[in-house]
Amino acid sequence: MRRINFPLLVLGSVLLLRVATARAADKPRYGGTLRVEVPAASVSLDPREWRVGSLESATNEKLAALVLERLVALDNYGRFQPVLAADWSHDGSSKRWQFAIRSGIKFSDGTGLTPAEIVAALQPLLPGTEQIFASGNTVVIQSTPPVPDLLEQLSSGRYFIYRLQTNGALAGTGPFVLSEAPSGGTASHGVGAHLYFRANEEAWSGRPFVDGIDVTLGVAPLRAMFDLQLGKADLIELAPDLVPRAKQANLRVWTSEPVTLYGLRFDDAQAAVSDVRLREALSLSLDRGTMANVLLQKQAEPAAALLPQWLSGYAFLFNVDTNLERAKELRRGLPANEAAGLEPLRLRVDPSGDLAKLLGERVAVNARQAAILVQVISRPIPRTGAPSSAASDPPSGVHLFAWHYSSLSPHAELDSLFAAYNLTEASEVNATSTDHEQLYARERKVLEERRVLPLVVQAESVGLGPMVRDWMPARWGEWHLADVWLELPEPAPADSLNTGNAAAPSSPQPRPTAPGVKP
Amino acid sequence: MSFRTKLFLIFLVTVLASVSLVAYGVTHYTQAAFEESDAQRSEALVAQFNKEYAQRGDEIARQVKNITDAEITLKVAIDLAGPRPDQSLYVHDAAGAAQDHGLDFVEFVNWDGTLISSAQYPARVGYKNDWVASNKNWNDSAPFLRKEELPDGVALSLTVVRTLSGGNDKNLYIVGGRRLDQNFLASLVPPAGTRALLYRNLEQGFVASALTDVNGSFEQADRLQPLIEQIQKQPKPTVRTIDWTENAADAESFHAIPLMGRNNELLAVLLLGSSRRELVLLTRHILQIAAAVAGAAILIGLLISLWVSARITRPLEELAEGAREVASGRWDTVIDLRGRDEIGQLASAFNEMTQTLAAQREQLVQTERVAAWRELARRLAHELRNPLFPLQITVENLQKARQLDAKQFLEVFNESTATLKAELANLNTIVGRFSDFSKMPAPHFARVNVNESLRNAVRLFEPQFNAVGKPPVIPEYFLTEPLPEIDADADLLHRAFQNLVLNALDAMPAGGTLTMRTTEHEGNVRIEVADTGKGLTPEECSRLFTPYYTTKVQGTGLGLAIIQSVVSDHHGTISVSSDEGHGTTFCIELPQRQSAHRATPVEEAVAAEKKPPQSLTAAASD
Repeated sequence: MRRINFPLLVLGSVLLLRVATARAADKPRYGGTLRVEVPAASVSLDPREWRVGSLESATNEKLAALVLERLVALDNYGRFQPVLAADWSHDGSSKRWQFAIRSGIKFSDGTGLTPAEIVAALQPLLPGTEQIFASGNTVVIQSTPPVPDLLEQLSSGRYFIYRLQTNGALAGTGPFVLSEAPSGGTASHGVGAHLYFRANEEAWSGRPFVDGIDVTLGVAPLRAMFDLQLGKADLIELAPDLVPRAKQANLRVWTSEPVTLYGLRFDDAQAAVSDVRLREALSLSLDRGTMANVLLQKQAEPAAALLPQWLSGYAFLFNVDTNLERAKELRRGLPANEAAGLEPLRLRVDPSGDLAKLLGERVAVNARQAAILVQVISRPIPRTGAPSSAASDPPSGVHLFAWHYSSLSPHAELDSLFAAYNLTEASEVNATSTDHEQLYARERKVLEERRVLPLVVQAESVGLGPMVRDWMPARWGEWHLADVWLELPEPAPADSLNTGNAAAPSSPQPRPTAPGVKP
Repeated sequence: MSFRTKLFLIFLVTVLASVSLVAYGVTHYTQAAFEESDAQRSEALVAQFNKEYAQRGDEIARQVKNITDAEITLKVAIDLAGPRPDQSLYVHDAAGAAQDHGLDFVEFVNWDGTLISSAQYPARVGYKNDWVASNKNWNDSAPFLRKEELPDGVALSLTVVRTLSGGNDKNLYIVGGRRLDQNFLASLVPPAGTRALLYRNLEQGFVASALTDVNGSFEQADRLQPLIEQIQKQPKPTVRTIDWTENAADAESFHAIPLMGRNNELLAVLLLGSSRRELVLLTRHILQIAAAVAGAAILIGLLISLWVSARITRPLEELAEGAREVASGRWDTVIDLRGRDEIGQLASAFNEMTQTLAAQREQLVQTERVAAWRELARRLAHELRNPLFPLQITVENLQKARQLDAKQFLEVFNESTATLKAELANLNTIVGRFSDFSKMPAPHFARVNVNESLRNAVRLFEPQFNAVGKPPVIPEYFLTEPLPEIDADADLLHRAFQNLVLNALDAMPAGGTLTMRTTEHEGNVRIEVADTGKGLTPEECSRLFTPYYTTKVQGTGLGLAIIQSVVSDHHGTISVSSDEGHGTTFCIELPQRQSAHRATPVEEAVAAEKKPPQSLTAAASD
């Protein structure tokens, strides 16, 4: 028998103990408050109020997902998972869909979830071509055109199930409940305002790990990053220009798929843009690579298509390279008074914020290389109503827009985008087709007419604090905060000061309720 | 204008001139002093600008140096000098550097001129700034003015460039600057009454909005357009005064200083305005004071000059009055003036003169009177001797005739008595003439046609003009028609004209031309009677109107005396002019109207008796 090497035995014991300790540390824990900071100064949790495609709707959707749930969900593997709908089926033409409602689910106000509540919630959100009604324990959606991608639609965007309470507040079935929710639209405004979401102890899917989520609104990106560095925040939305800095500071950064499109659309308010040669010259002058890789510091990709590759699957087929010589040639062929001569093209930057303004100015710089004068107007427009020029400003021929992809259905997304910017009429292709070739043809038609010029598609980035565990969002940016737990520091001695995060859990004793099986 | 008025005016003008001279002098020297002060203020402001400009440049250079010396910048330089650097990592670094170092403009430029990062125009990242890379070492370069391109236009920047080596012979250029705008003007703190404007010459021609003051855009910029355009054409310091309104106090002097760029291009014009309000108000104040002083001085001068002129001129006026009295015949006039000055001496001399004149006049009157009596006696003797001699002969013949027979005696007696009677008649005539002269009747005025009276007088002598055996006399008339009628005594006037014509005929024994001329002259009627005789000597002319003086062998010397008496009674004048050898012209001027208040001719005649006989002039004036 060989002699046991004692030092090796000791080392092995230590390693085993270490592994065991590590496993214990990875075990989800209950408690704590997740501190979230977002730059939006105003949010709305009411899906009926959201403007499709707007940047604000992204934050709204993320926060609404804390208290509201959809019928179905799409996981990161592309599989649909039942949520409030336990099962679903459709006819052969995909015009009639039937969803069996999961039983025993209650809203946060204690009332039970019924098909009628679902119908009431979805009715104002569905397009006019789709009718919804309850049938027993099921909900039926009847569409005039076939909707084979209905599950993609219902698993994303604003299709949340809610119950409108008598006081005007919305009740949901989600893992969190908004505390002290403002009446009506469940909205809060103002820089530094807080929204507190407490854990829904009665959630059908099980109590979330954290006791609550404290959302601070209107925090400037740089300030949010400093808060994250200093441990004053656990989760922040990172602006693209801060991602490199955050990485340099060794902060945890997660980046989604590109979810926001920046592009140019033309408005007949300036007669010069009616000439397709000018629009093409402008398009050829644009250096999208520099926009994405330098100005947005590689947090975006040059966009040649309206829908991103991960959503449409055909975006790689589009290609727009910079061709300054061709742009100049086209420009020379234009009448002298168009664009460069007497009156410059007015480019209104519709979204607020430095990033959009920077892109607008870059467009102007690029265009000038092709002898096209572009005047950038970066005053933000009112949020309500359709985008339009302020009465005091001269009409703008070009708008820089930002479009946030909210639907997992490329068909629905393209429809929404076309509808928002009046591009539907420009397409002669069957608008109701969900076939990808037809979808590609529609988009190609619009792009060839240069009525809209995609610039870049930008991803979302999130900064995570060191205590955040099991951060498993959807790759298109949707947060799953019910799965997140906090690795809190060891409880401090009673006589010591309690500093920093909530290291002290709001619920001293976690409920014995086991976390439900998440889809 | 009286002497007193002249003296007063002289005083007044002297005072006015003195006050004006003093006011002008004060205003001129004050203005000059203010202009000098204004120039000094402008120079001070220019110096302050230059100092502030230099300080700002130094501060920018220091901040750019700090950026250059920062570790992070060195890291950037080293990274960019390496193979395939990720330039996107530094796209926002310039903005941070600008914020940290208080600069408006910061750019990082790669060794090849590529813009890596820009605080002021991040959209230009990736484009070339070749002018930066054209100079490999900027570290010793001075701050310079530069046109800075911005997304919303163009700005003026005081720029500094520094070079940082990243290795591999590749440099990183750090371009930093601050905006030259109204904030810069605000830092100048100009003295009271001055201000600074800045025109940013960033576009062609004049752009009103490019002119700013400390508050931003400058209104009424167009008023400075000519000055700006002049600087644009010829960039050199220029001074011009701008009248903002019609009020001169609102005018402002502008010193325009061109600010040149690195390539000697005009990029800006600094305008240092200096208000002229202080000067104008000061000038006005001086003028007001001068006006008040002048007014007071004039008033005082007026009173003083009145007093002085009165004091000076009163003796002179008394002298003048005395002279007038002497002229009027009061030879014994005495002026009562005291004093030892020149005026007093003059008055004393005047009194002595009048006393001497009075004595001499008395002596002359007596002498003339004696001479007149002697002349009268001579004339009487001469006149009387002519008839007395025949009387004596006749009486002696008559005495001798007593020895003749009765017939012869009777014949002689008759002849003698006839002769005696004739000579006695002649004596009686002579005596009558003298008697008539002594008894000139007072005139009775009535409207008389002078032309008619003159024609009638001439008509009496027409038979003599062409008398047989005598050379002819040709009358010529130059009578103004119609001639206004005058107030006159027709008989006396006729007698005077007769004597004139008779005198003329006597002056032309060899014939000639008798010229009669009447005219209207300044309200008077002028009558001229001229002959073409041998004329008179000046001495004869001067004595012509003396009674009993005659140049004729048979004359009594009363004819012209009678004419003068008539003219005088009609308040007219008579004069004579003669050109010896060519004839004599008598000229009478009579007033058209005789004033009612005038003394009657009789009174005048009585008064005339008291007058000395006229010797030099025949004018008979009242």
